[in-house]
This record gives sequence, structure tokens and C-alpha cells, in this order.
Amino acid sequence: MKVDETIALLRQGKQVSEETVYTLCLRSQELLMSEANVTRVDTPVTICGDIHGQLHDLLTLFDKSGGVENNKYVFLGDFVDRGFYSLESFLLLLCYKLRYPDRITMIRGNHETRQITKVYGFYDEIVRKYGNSNVWRYCCEVFDYLSLGAVVDGQVFCVHGGLSPNVTTVNQIRAIERKQEVPHEGAMCDLLWSDPDEVSTWSLSPRGAGFLFGRNEVDQFLHCNGLELIARAHQLVMEGYKEMFGGGLVTVWSAPNYCYRCGNVAAVLRIEDGLSREYMIFEAVQAQDDVGNAIIPTKKPQMDYFL
Amino acid sequence: MDRAVQETDYDAFSCKVSAIAKHYLPRQVSGKEKEEGEFVQLHMAYAQGLKSVSRRAYSKVDRAVQSAQPVMNYGTYLRSVAIDEAIACFLKEHVKSGAEAPVQVVNLGCGSDLRMTQMLSQVPHLKWLDLDFKESVALKSRILENNPLFQRELGPSESVETAGYLTNRYCLTSCDLNDIAQVAEILKKFTTQDCPTLVLSECVLCYMKSAESKALINCIESFYKMGTWISYDPIGGDDSADKFGKIMQTNLRESRHLEMPTLMVYNSPEKYAQRFNTAPHSTSIVTMWQYYVQSVPDEEKMRLKTLQFLDEIEELEIILSHYILAEASWR
Ligand SMILES: C[S@@+](CC[C@H](N)C(=O)[O-])C[C@H]1O[C@@H](n2cnc3c(N)ncnc32)[C@H](O)[C@@H]1O
Repeated sequence: MKVDETIALLRQGKQVSEETVYTLCLRSQELLMSEANVTRVDTPVTICGDIHGQLHDLLTLFDKSGGVENNKYVFLGDFVDRGFYSLESFLLLLCYKLRYPDRITMIRGNHETRQITKVYGFYDEIVRKYGNSNVWRYCCEVFDYLSLGAVVDGQVFCVHGGLSPNVTTVNQIRAIERKQEVPHEGAMCDLLWSDPDEVSTWSLSPRGAGFLFGRNEVDQFLHCNGLELIARAHQLVMEGYKEMFGGGLVTVWSAPNYCYRCGNVAAVLRIEDGLSREYMIFEAVQAQDDVGNAIIPTKKPQMDYFL
Repeated sequence: MDRAVQETDYDAFSCKVSAIAKHYLPRQVSGKEKEEGEFVQLHMAYAQGLKSVSRRAYSKVDRAVQSAQPVMNYGTYLRSVAIDEAIACFLKEHVKSGAEAPVQVVNLGCGSDLRMTQMLSQVPHLKWLDLDFKESVALKSRILENNPLFQRELGPSESVETAGYLTNRYCLTSCDLNDIAQVAEILKKFTTQDCPTLVLSECVLCYMKSAESKALINCIESFYKMGTWISYDPIGGDDSADKFGKIMQTNLRESRHLEMPTLMVYNSPEKYAQRFNTAPHSTSIVTMWQYYVQSVPDEEKMRLKTLQFLDEIEELEIILSHYILAEASWR
């Protein structure tokens, strides 16, 4: 399998063979296996939120932020589900990672699990595209090896969801046995599911997994670990990003016009040397083919409106 | 165009079947287990009937049911429950126990709505009129006639039309709601002017042009002495930063050739409520998000949460904030 050729195919939203996916997943697993639960990353770096199978918007993201040829990226998870191109989006990131290993960090999101992808579209997408679920299984194997977080320059903690009452230090995360399906409770689950909110202490989450945490929990975690910022994704923000708690936490959302209907803009966060933050906002594009015609996915599932 | 509008009924029905399959519907109320069982049976029977009458329609429904996501199941649950509650509220006000005072329901663009079945058996002095395009009525009446369960519940049809169903309390007949003369004639023929009347339009007005929907509202409100109009519809959103409605129009046009001419006209709850010309104190409107937050009991919220992982509250709020239930009364 030639990575560059596969990248070219994926960028056009074209289907790659089952064998190619198999090889790609196997090689990615080998690479990810050697990564720690929490990866160290240096500035400058671009931090990106949820992608959710919106391939054409992912291409816009790379375009507008300089591209993987010249820049480092941290992706905060939720590569798959909801959009029409979950597979292509996820594989493209894996290819980039194989091609430029030190420029792409991929953190696991709550959608990178067998259970959730069965409900939210990735599984159906694979069966629609391949007529069987093999490719879905290969990808799920990779999900189990994705890291749980990253720390940028020792100062910015990156995670998909948020904090856990079972975790006070980043070192505790390093000790988690991560190579498994995401459990329904406990530290690993919370990191992928929790949300910040205006609460005075740990509270129940309306999502049915993870917790809500407030300013106290964030301040404490930052202080305890000598950090300046928690960068997370997981929640749709109409403006693309939202800082909270005096700038101690930010939510970054990178899927514009989410599910092709929410009308939101997207953002990525660029952290420069010296930790200055810069947000790049971008909007959804109509997917186009090589000659500029609008692509309307042919095997599109039903429209999600109440009619 | 009419075809695209008629086919929206398959969406409405498949959403309901999906919500039933995943146990969102029926809403659980203690002491109502029998009605809840019937509700499921009736819908399953109708789905089977659809299969034998139109394979094409059935396969559409079947496909949609396979892929329905939690957000859709939540929204369908809320739509169904909110309307049921509004109907129950109307009946409670107008049906005095023991008295022979009749009430009637006019269901505009009824599609595959099966509410009439249980309502008619629960409320003795109720009469029910179901109206839709000819093709939709033909489909529905065939399914009702072919199924012993509906035969038993509704009684046999005396309709002389091929497309239609008629008993002394239930009438299903074809009517183009854009044709006001026809509407007036049918109301006169099948309903009573001075009987308390509930008018139901569930995702119907949104497919009509502004002038036609206005004419329909005026015609009906002046025909009945006293009535309550219950209407469920999408609204486009009224803030210049809110792109939901515009995107919805584009998506539906591109994927379905479906138009919603007034989505951006009656685009806020306030503007939607005003289209009924009723007095402000007898007009109320809630978004489905408000209904979820304010009116769904905590136990039901807990129950819903256990059915499927709902991953995205923010998205649910955005979507549900663009659907409303209006109640407008006049006398
Ligand atoms: C989305 S479906 C809703 C069906 C049903 N009210 C429900 O919610 O389950 C819309 C229905 O309205 C009917 N409809 C729309 N415009 C109509 C018109 N001008 N005359 C008669 N029926 C109409 C369609 O045929 C279709 O059955």
C-alpha cells in the first residue's frame, strides 16, 4: 500500500479497498501502540475539535491552517459518526500520521467506540459502502489504541471531554490501561465524556456518562499539574470556540454546519511558542468534485428533519 | 410537488415506528398499560398493512426506521406526547361526564396518524374527521379496511367512495386543503358548526403557501362557533445569526424537492402564533425544547435517558428550538 496514493484517493472521497484499510489499520496500530496515554507535543501546534465525518470541512481545516506539510496538529477526537464520510476522514488522518508521524496527534473521543458508532452512523456507513462490517471492525481495533490526552509544552492539557473525579494528576492518566473499549464509568470514560458547566462541584451529566465539572475542579487541576489551559472539544459551540473559567478552559469545535443542518461556524486553536492563543474560524463549504461541481452524496441516509 | 409533500407522511410514520421500536413511545403512565399496549399494536398492524398495500412505501419506512438516531427519537416522542396532551386538555374541558354533549376533531393532513382509533373508543361522544390528499386517503383507507383490528375498533366502513372510510363517528375523506371551496363543502357535509371543535394540523401548514394557509385558517375559524386549533410545525428562526431555517430549506429542496414556503415567514414563536388571529390570552405556543425542559416529568426524562446514549444536548436544543406547538382558541 502506498500512503500517498491512498491520501489522494481519500481526499476525493473515493472508496479504498478493504485490503488497503486492513493494512492501514494494522500499521496505524503498530505506531499508536508505542505512544503513551498522554502524548507530549511542542509548540507551535494547531488544536482541532470534533470532525464527525465531515471530510470536506476537514480538508478546509487543513487548507486554512497551513497544512500538515508545514504544521503540527492535535485532534481532540470524534473523527467519526454523523457525517457522510466518517471512514474517509478517519483514514485520512491515519495516513497523514503514518506519513508525518510527529505532526499528527490523535486523541480518542467518545464516538471512537464500538457501541456509539453502531448508533450514530459509522457502522451503517461502512455496511452501506462495503456491504459488510469488516472495515468497521478494523477501525474499532485502531480506536482502542488512540491516546487519551496530550500536553503541549507542559502547559496545555488536551483531552476530548474533560476531567474526572478519579483523576487529580496527569500522571494518573498515564497509568490507565487504555487498550480496550471505553468503559461505562471510571477515569477513562470520564475523560471522554465529561463537560464543563457552571457548577460548584462534580455533578451528574445529562448525557448519562461522565460528569459535569466547574471552575473549582478546573482551577485545582491546573494548579496541581502546573498547567495553564485545558483544551477540549465534545460540545457543539455555535461560534466555533468558547473560553470559560477566566480562560482556564476552552472548547474547540471543528465541524462547521454540524450534521449539515446546525448552521454553526467552526474553529481551530493555534498555540504559538510562548503559548499565545489564536483562533482560526472557518465555515462549511459545499463539497465539490475535481471540476467544481457540487457533490451531493449519493448513498446519503435519510434527512434528519421532522416532516 | 404534491407527491413530495405526500411522501412526508412516510417520514412522519417511520419516525413514529422507530420511536416505538426503541421504546420512546408510548409515553409511560401508570394505570394506562392497556392503552399503551393497544397503541403499539395499532401501529404495528398499520405498518404490516402498509407492507401489503405498497411495498415501495413500506421499504421507505423500513429504511428510515433502521437509521433513526436518538435526536430524532426524542423529537418524535415530544411531538407525539405534546399533541396528545393538548388534545386531552381540550377534551377534558369539553366532555362533561354523563352529558351527551358531542365534540369533534378535524385532523388536517392526517396522513397515517392513527390517533382517531383510540380516541374514538375512549371518548363516546366524539366524532372525528380525517382529511388528506386523495392518494394518501386511498392508501390509508385500504389499510384500515384490510385489517381486522381497525375494523373492530372503528366499525365497518359505509363509504361509497373507493378512497375513504365512513362510519357514524369517523370519516376519512379526500380534500385538497388549498381548495377553500372544497374544504368548506366538506366541513359542512361532515361536521357541525356549533359543536366544540378541535382542529389539528401536525406538520401540514408548513407545506402550504402563505395565502392558502391564511385562507384555510380564516375559513375554519369563521365556520365553527368555538374551537381550538392545535398546530405543530417547524419555524425557521428569526435572528440573522440563526441559519437553521435557511439551511433546512436548501437541504429539503436539494434532497427531496420539498418546499416549506412559510418557514422564514412565520419564523419565530410570536409570528407563528399570530397567524391564528385569536386573542393573545387564548393563544399559547411553546418550542419543543421548552416543552422538554418544562413539561416532561423527571421520571420520563430519566426513562428516556436509559433508552439510547444521547450524545449531544446542544444539538438537541438547537433542533427542538425550531419546532413549535401552538394552541389557539376562539369562541
Ligand atoms: C408530514 S405529513 C403529516 C401527517 C400527520 N399529520 C402526522 O403528523 O403524522 C403531511 C401530510 O399533510 C398532507 N397535506 C399537505 N398539504 C396538503 C393539502 N394541501 N391538502 C391535503 N393534504 C395535505 C400530506 O399529504 C401529508 O399526508
